[in-house]
Amino acid sequence: MLTRRDILQKCVALGSVIIATQASLEGMLAAFQDHEKQIHRPTPPNPLGPFYKRLAPVNDVLRAPGDPGIPLTLSGQVFDTRGDVVTDALIEIWQTNHQGYYDLDGYRYRGKRQVDKSGSYTFDSVIPGHYPDKSRICQHVHYVVTAPGHTTLITQLYFATDPVFEGDPVKNYARDPLIQTPELIRPVVLTGDPNEVHAKVTWELCLERL
Amino acid sequence: MLSRILAFLLVSSIPIAAPAQTARQEKAMALPAGVSIEEATISHAGNLVAAVCSDHSVRVWSIRSGELLRSLNEAKEPSAVQFSDDERSLAVAYDIRAYEKGAIKIFDVNSWQARHDFGDGPPVWWLAFSPDSRHLAGGSEFGAYVWDVATGKSTNISPPFGGSALAFSPDGTRVATAGPDGFMRIYDPNTGALQSTATLGTLLETMTLAFSPDGKTLLVGGVDKTIRVIEAASGKISRTIAKQPGLVWSLDVSPDGKNAVVVYRSAESFLDVNHLERLDLANGAVLTDFKKPGITIHGGMFVSDHYVFVVASANQLILWSIP
Repeated sequence: MLTRRDILQKCVALGSVIIATQASLEGMLAAFQDHEKQIHRPTPPNPLGPFYKRLAPVNDVLRAPGDPGIPLTLSGQVFDTRGDVVTDALIEIWQTNHQGYYDLDGYRYRGKRQVDKSGSYTFDSVIPGHYPDKSRICQHVHYVVTAPGHTTLITQLYFATDPVFEGDPVKNYARDPLIQTPELIRPVVLTGDPNEVHAKVTWELCLERL
Repeated sequence: MLSRILAFLLVSSIPIAAPAQTARQEKAMALPAGVSIEEATISHAGNLVAAVCSDHSVRVWSIRSGELLRSLNEAKEPSAVQFSDDERSLAVAYDIRAYEKGAIKIFDVNSWQARHDFGDGPPVWWLAFSPDSRHLAGGSEFGAYVWDVATGKSTNISPPFGGSALAFSPDGTRVATAGPDGFMRIYDPNTGALQSTATLGTLLETMTLAFSPDGKTLLVGGVDKTIRVIEAASGKISRTIAKQPGLVWSLDVSPDGKNAVVVYRSAESFLDVNHLERLDLANGAVLTDFKKPGITIHGGMFVSDHYVFVVASANQLILWSIP
């Protein structure tokens, strides 16, 4: 398969792209590639944490009927750093229940799924709770994203509504010692009436090509 | 009747064969106001203690005198510290780009000059020297590596998900790793060649492993609250010590190979690491039990027949020991 660099070189050779500057072809190619790399920055990594459990079931409906907590829909698309959709990514997520406890005996709030043909994914869950020890570890959902030809992404999603951020995650993100960038903190859209609130979070994930 | 009830209550409240809390506070080192301990390690001979502090410095104290020997400030965020067994070197790992890039410096413990500088490497959250100090192993959830200390050449020895725990064999000829992927792997530190793989039979993450003093067995523990005793040569699990009182966070085997000290992380209050037990490896019996709310245990070292361990409490580093 031709890379974009190959295609550009061919175009130059065939005259369909004309280099109209004083720069060399190699220089132009390097600049082009640098620009390409910056179209999408890879999603920042974040620790796996000690509560990962192998062999999670293929399941994107993690919330059972009647589960306490605010219902949550997590969705998004997976891209690579060139902005191309990754159509064969596997996304695995796990989180605590609404009270901040992980299920270590079973697989509650743990699941994985393939993205669809458009690189999209959706998980139904609940907003995870804070850890019960009153620490400053914010509410979070763990992600591991794998795709052939791409670096495995281990990261975590945080919620902009987390009270630890006091409404200003850009300013206060470092209150959680594990958050090194506000890029991992996602806005939360609340829908429904006050008695039946539903939270929606979208997160576009970007994988590095090998 | 009342006297019988009182007598019953009195008798039933007496612990029968319960392990005593025989821990003794040995030394306390004060930290500046607002500074806390994030990681700590004790040297093999029990003379030095080093700590990664919240102000991004690494402080080193003499255990005997309690004197602060050095405060290393490298304008980088330290993530792990480890002494060489001969106490001549202190390795410090630094975060360069969070969870993506790291660096390691090895300091001379007398001059405190950096003897080696391995920059632009993988993130490292755990460190271990080989007993002869020729190799340094380090790792994180993103993989484990071995450095040849003299040349600085690094070799990737485990895949992502395989390097949360690592330990050298007592003779330095093997380095074992384990992590969330359910395997324990043993490598040749000279070549990085995989020598054997053992299936641990757990779905949860392995957090710690330790060789027995004769190098024939390994103790492996983790989030499933189980300690597995594994034959190093065959990779066969010879015994399991299940139903531990918390997540098995660190393990050390006594010099005679008969006991192990286990540090537990709470399964209910995840950030609490304040419970430690000394176990008889023959039968799993608890010989000593130490639990103290409001502190964090950062592991320790067998020094002669005592186990000395580091505790962080408010802005103090405290050394405790158990017989």
